[in-house]
Amino acid sequence: MKNKNIDSIIELSNELRWQIGDDFHDNLTEGIYADAAQIVADTVKVDSSKKRFRLDRQIDKIVTSKTFGFPIMFLILATVLWLTIIGANYPSSLLAQLLLDNVHPILKSGAAAINMPWWLDGFLIDGVYLAVAWVIAVMLPPMAIFFPMFTLLEDFGYLPRVAFNLDSLFRKSGAHGKQALTMTMGFGCNAAGVVATRIIDSPRERLIAIITNNFSLCNGRWPTQILIATIFIGAVVPSAFSSLISLIAVICIAVLGMGFMFGTSWALSKTLLEGQVSTFNLELPPYRPPRFWKTIYTSLIDRTMIVLWRAIVFAAPAGAVIWLISNVYIGNESVAAWTIHSLDGFGFLLGLNGVILLAYIVAIPANEIVIPTILMLTVSVTGIAGGAGAGVMFELDSVNATGDILRAGGWTLLTAVNLMLFSLLHNPCSTTIYTIYKETKSAKWTIFASIMPVILGFIVTFLVAQIWRIIF
Amino acid sequence: MNYNPIYALVLFFIIAGILFVLFRPNKGWFWVIKNNFRSNEKVVIEDILKQLYHFENSGNKVDTKTLVQMLKFNNKQIIEVVKKMTINDLIYFELDVLKLTDAGRDYALRIVRIHRLWERYLADKTGFSKEEWHNRAEMMEHKLSHDETNTLAAHLGNPKFDPHGDPIPTKTGKIAQVKGVELPLLPVNTVGRITHIEDEPDIIYKQILAENIHMGSLIRVVENNSTRIVFLSEGEEFILAPIVAANLTVAGIEKEVVIEDNIARLSSLKAEETAKITGISKESRGESRRRLLDLGFVKGATIKIDLTNPLGEPHAYLIKGTSIALRKDQAAKILIKKD
Repeated sequence: MKNKNIDSIIELSNELRWQIGDDFHDNLTEGIYADAAQIVADTVKVDSSKKRFRLDRQIDKIVTSKTFGFPIMFLILATVLWLTIIGANYPSSLLAQLLLDNVHPILKSGAAAINMPWWLDGFLIDGVYLAVAWVIAVMLPPMAIFFPMFTLLEDFGYLPRVAFNLDSLFRKSGAHGKQALTMTMGFGCNAAGVVATRIIDSPRERLIAIITNNFSLCNGRWPTQILIATIFIGAVVPSAFSSLISLIAVICIAVLGMGFMFGTSWALSKTLLEGQVSTFNLELPPYRPPRFWKTIYTSLIDRTMIVLWRAIVFAAPAGAVIWLISNVYIGNESVAAWTIHSLDGFGFLLGLNGVILLAYIVAIPANEIVIPTILMLTVSVTGIAGGAGAGVMFELDSVNATGDILRAGGWTLLTAVNLMLFSLLHNPCSTTIYTIYKETKSAKWTIFASIMPVILGFIVTFLVAQIWRIIF
Repeated sequence: MNYNPIYALVLFFIIAGILFVLFRPNKGWFWVIKNNFRSNEKVVIEDILKQLYHFENSGNKVDTKTLVQMLKFNNKQIIEVVKKMTINDLIYFELDVLKLTDAGRDYALRIVRIHRLWERYLADKTGFSKEEWHNRAEMMEHKLSHDETNTLAAHLGNPKFDPHGDPIPTKTGKIAQVKGVELPLLPVNTVGRITHIEDEPDIIYKQILAENIHMGSLIRVVENNSTRIVFLSEGEEFILAPIVAANLTVAGIEKEVVIEDNIARLSSLKAEETAKITGISKESRGESRRRLLDLGFVKGATIKIDLTNPLGEPHAYLIKGTSIALRKDQAAKILIKKD
């Protein structure tokens, strides 16, 4: 009886609702807003003699003007990147010296003093410790410089204007103007860039920004690019131009990354993501003086430390794996040598080699250790002099010596070019993958975002290698 | 096999070509074959019912020959299915004209209901573009069960009309009336509101979309002859061929309603001009519409351009003391009255 009553009431309400029609909801909402606006107009007094933020308008006029808007933007972004890359060199080498050249031998001798078995000592100190130390030395300084600067710009209110200026470009590829910011953030660190996509409130554009963030060359990859460009591309031209040419090569790679970002964004928005809801709006908040110390503090804690911690957590097991594959033997070959030989054929097709592919597999946790791993594996496979022993990553102080080892490993200019391309187009590091999962809460998109760049990388390096071999 | 970069390259392009032919969006063979598998008996029955329903509604008579021409199925299959449907009492023949039985009409209404509900869902809750709504709904109408349909309807708030202005039949088969007549039938100087935009055939619908004509907007006919129909709406002038205009249904507005004539779209606002918002067009739906309302784009708010963009789009608008950037297509859906 009771149920019947309720049913008939629900039935009646449905009936009435249907009769009222679709406009009802909109009218109600609009009515509420209109009433609220009326109340505000009646009760809140605004001093209309004071024009809205005079200074703001002046700044806005300049930073979004046709003549100055883009030059100012490029200048600021270039300065930030330059300060990061150049400025990070000094603390990085200091940290490297401390952690790798000083603490590492001390730990080794300490282990020897307490008669630690060689395998435990190798596993823990040469594997885990070295990988963690490397990641800290390479990763910490650029992040500690880049993030505070970026956060200061954000806090000041300049970054939304960048998104405003560039939105037109991003709209054409189906993305949101704010992706300009997350992309730039990606130049610092892809994981942080993925977190930064939270500022994009439209679901489709946010997914696009997350998936394509990997095409921003991150801090962990800049040093690789610069090193390889200096050794191989700089060597092609007269030495007077070599540093200029290698710099241009690196910039080309970064710009190519942006090209891939736009292309992939466009393709995604037209195919896989076309069903996702897409909205747009961009608030341009008033400028305010950045709260300097607070910003520095929060950017160090929120961005730098969290990312660094995640990187360490992932790098430690990677170090262990690297040591293990070089020291565990199947028959009379180490696992590393065996894998390299089986990957060599595929690597050759891509204009790379087995060492590089294996290095990228074990270095999924951190791009920073790619070069040390490549050097270690090359030395151990070719059997040339140098290096620090099986499974011990190392880097050389001299660029020339590094080049000699790589050339002994069979590297050519093609290998170098393709390594630079592959360094741009491969799966995101595990920190980023984990972050993508945390942000999207979707295994599907995480897997897609991880696999898609590698496939692109395979295709691009393959094509370059074939065409190169046909021409030369 | 000996390695040769040219062979490798050729092989690569062959594989890439095959993959493209198989999987390119919509027209790839893989999807085509998948769709063909779908055209089982149920689909054919439902499509026939739907066709008959639409024909009867518009007062046309159908024989088997026209039906075969209308539907994209194998002719033999259609004839067989029609035979089965007469046996199952869904349709019957009056001489050679096909007619729906009551049971058949109920069934057809259910299919129409799912189709229109799904279009409504696509419009409100997803980001698919307008061109795709119809085809996606065509697929979906054969998939949803009775209960799923009702859940969907409840989720959407039991809407009365689909995004094109077609009425959605209720659970019990009730249908709202679409007010108005086809645009070419309106005399010059009539003022009316667009209540329906027909989404078939595809070519004409695409033309209407390209013109940026919005559902629910007020129009005033200024020229109507056999070659073209010209009307003003939201500050813009639209010129349509009669065959295109016939796909628009417009309801005349009673004299008592005050007509605000100088309504324009926000996209037409120039720097230094100010205006009052008079509403958001029906074309802005779902999430986007809510966002705009949240940000204060409501009736009566004053608005002006705050910043123009160096690349032409988006402009930043000053509303309620905040600067908000909107793209052109969004601004076109906000209606204003210039001061």
